[in-house]
Formats: sequence, C-alpha cells, structure tokens
Amino acid sequence: MTDWLELLRTIGYGFIIFLSSAVGTYGFAIFMHAPKRAWLPASLIGGVSYALYWALLQVNAYEPLSIFLAALLGSVLGQLCARKMRMIASIFILLAMIPLVPGLGLYRCMAYLAQGAYGEGVKAGVSAMVDIVMIAFGLGIGSYGIRLFRHRPANEGSAVK
Amino acid sequence: MNDDARYMAPLHLAARLILENGGETYRVEETVTRMGHAFGFSEVEAFAVPSGIFISYRKGDGNIETAVKRVRKGATDLTRVDAVNAISRRMEQEQLTCEEVMEALRAIESRRAQLTKWQLMLALGLSSAGWAVMFGGWGWDAAVAFVVSTLAQGVAFLLDRARMRSFVGTLTGCFLGTILPMFFHLFTGLLVTDACIAACLMPMLPGLAMTNAVQDTMRGDMVSGIASATSAALTAAMVAGGALIGNTVFRLLTGGVL
Repeated sequence: MTDWLELLRTIGYGFIIFLSSAVGTYGFAIFMHAPKRAWLPASLIGGVSYALYWALLQVNAYEPLSIFLAALLGSVLGQLCARKMRMIASIFILLAMIPLVPGLGLYRCMAYLAQGAYGEGVKAGVSAMVDIVMIAFGLGIGSYGIRLFRHRPANEGSAVK
Repeated sequence: MNDDARYMAPLHLAARLILENGGETYRVEETVTRMGHAFGFSEVEAFAVPSGIFISYRKGDGNIETAVKRVRKGATDLTRVDAVNAISRRMEQEQLTCEEVMEALRAIESRRAQLTKWQLMLALGLSSAGWAVMFGGWGWDAAVAFVVSTLAQGVAFLLDRARMRSFVGTLTGCFLGTILPMFFHLFTGLLVTDACIAACLMPMLPGLAMTNAVQDTMRGDMVSGIASATSAALTAAMVAGGALIGNTVFRLLTGGVL
C-alpha cells in the first residue's frame, strides 16, 4: 500500500516537473519572439524532454546518460514537429534544450567557489560541463539521425540563366 | 550595368535578416543558395560567419557578381528567421520576381515587434517562475523568481538603451538574480535559494549560441561552430561571474549567514 502511495506521489510530482518546465519553456518562447503557433508545441517538447531527464534520475540512471537521452528526444521531437508544422527546426530544438541547460549546476559551482569550497566547486563545474557536452551530443546525433531518414527532392529552381 | 546585379539586394537582405535575428550560418547559406537558384542562377555561392556574409553568383553575361556585408547581431527574433525561410521555400514553389521578394523581405524587416518590452519582461518572469518549480522550489520561489527575473530584464533593457547590453547586461542581470533572492531569504527564510537563483540565471544562459554551435559544427562549418561556441563560453563565464560576484558581495555584507 505504502509502495503504491509512494509511486503515485512520484508520478504526481513528475507531472508537476513536466508542467513547470513546459511553463518555463513557454515564457522563453515568447521572449525569443518564436512564432505564436510554435509556443505550445515547443513548450510541450521542452516539458517532455526535462520530464524524461527527471524520470531517468529517479530510477538512478547515470546523469550524463539521462541528459543525453533527454536532449536526443528533444532534438528528434523538435525536428519532427518542425517538419509537420512547416517551420524551421531551430525554434523547437532551441526551446527543447533550454530546460536541460545546467543552470543549477553552474550556480552551485559558483556558490561553492564563493564559499571557498574549491573541491566541491570544481566538481560541480565539471559536472555542468559534462552535461553541456551531453546536450551537444544528444542534439547533434538527433539532428544527424533525422537527416539520414529525410528525403529531400533535388533543387529544381526556375529556368537556369 | 547588367540588370542581373539587382538580385544581390534581396539575397543580402535575406541573409542579414537571418543572421541578425539569431539564425544559424548554415541556414543563411542554404537560404541564399536556394533563393539564387530560384531566381535562375546556376552558380550561387554563399559563405556566412556569425559576423558577416559573402555572396556571389554568375550573371547572365558570364561575369560574377560578388558582395560582402558586415552583420551586427541584434535581438533574437525567431519569427523573422522563420518568415525569411518561408519566403525562400515559397520561391521554390512559385515564380516570384525580384521586386516581389524584396517587398516581402522589407515587410519582414520593418515589421514591428509583436510584443512590448513590458510583455517580454513578464514572459521572462513567467519562464523563471516555471523553472523555479522545476528545480525543486515552490510557490514563494516561483513568485520571487518571477519578480527578480522581470526586474533583471528591465535593467538589461535600460542598459540596451545606453548601448551597454550584451556581456554587461548579462553580468548585471546575474548579479541581481543572485543577490536579491539571497536577501529575500535572509529576511523571510521562505526560499529554496538554489532553485530560485538558478531559475533567475536560466534565461541568461547561452542556449541559442550553444545550439547554433552544435548545428553549425554538425554540418561541417567549423569556423562558425567555433565562433558560436566561443560566444556561448564567454556568456556562460559572464553568468558565472555575475553569480560569483553576487554571492561574494552577499557574504561580505552579511558575514555569510546563509
């Protein structure tokens, strides 16, 4: 019984995490002057990506792997959405990556350094850097993977001069 | 003078609009090449770096028309980037004249911002409020992150007016985003400070430069990729510097009570 309650509580909190990251991404989409019709889908993709990262951490997955998979998911969903909506992929990819950028890690690194806890500071800084590299990998591999499956007809412009 | 020279103006304007508003360099090159082909030129070359563009095409008389333009980055406006891209796609589908394309691009250039500065500040506040909860904060953290982020962006707009945006704006915004929640927590004890401060710093992190760096590098454009990565690293250093200064000043003023 207690296990079930605990599971329900975790799922409920996971939903709050999804919702809050989606709200964060929504506000940022407005700030970046993204096209209006992209606000909602982009924020949902941002929410789903961060929720995946959070869920993987809950099952004790290795953090760099979690952030890589979340970035990969964001990148793939962003490109699929861009194709469906006939918009540029960068809008969705950028907004999907924003919640994953390690703001907390970067702040903790600086906070530790300000306190003179250099060992902890360097550890937090390196961890943030690893996260950034993993985001870049996820984003890059997602873009590359989608392009492999993408069929683009040869450019047939108007009459050539 | 050959009439084909007039096609350079829309190509340049399209490239400048994408680059100025936060588009990737590979997108500039793709768009210009696509537009050049749609105008009917067989040989179109475009080379873009984050601070400039080089375009050339072979005219009907066999001569090559080339132009170079320095581009200074403006505020990010993804709607403009998308609109220019849509025009270039439209040109592939239907025959548009040089004048029609130029008119459409000028309309994008002169389009006023859809949102006022106040609305943008509130949007950023909303975004920070969401992230405060995402990082493990709750109601008070969201409220404080909303107010502080809105305020920090207001200061950034003021600095922008004084032509001091960019790195100075980031540094100042991060300083405020760190020190204000700390003082609020000192007087009320209501915050999860880490979550609230990180949420205030998030909008200043270089997400756009980072994604552009990866996208450009993945397409083999190492020059632009490295330039964007350097810009991202510098901005991240400013964010970290602002947070470090805020933290240190707070500790000096209060003796490090938190």
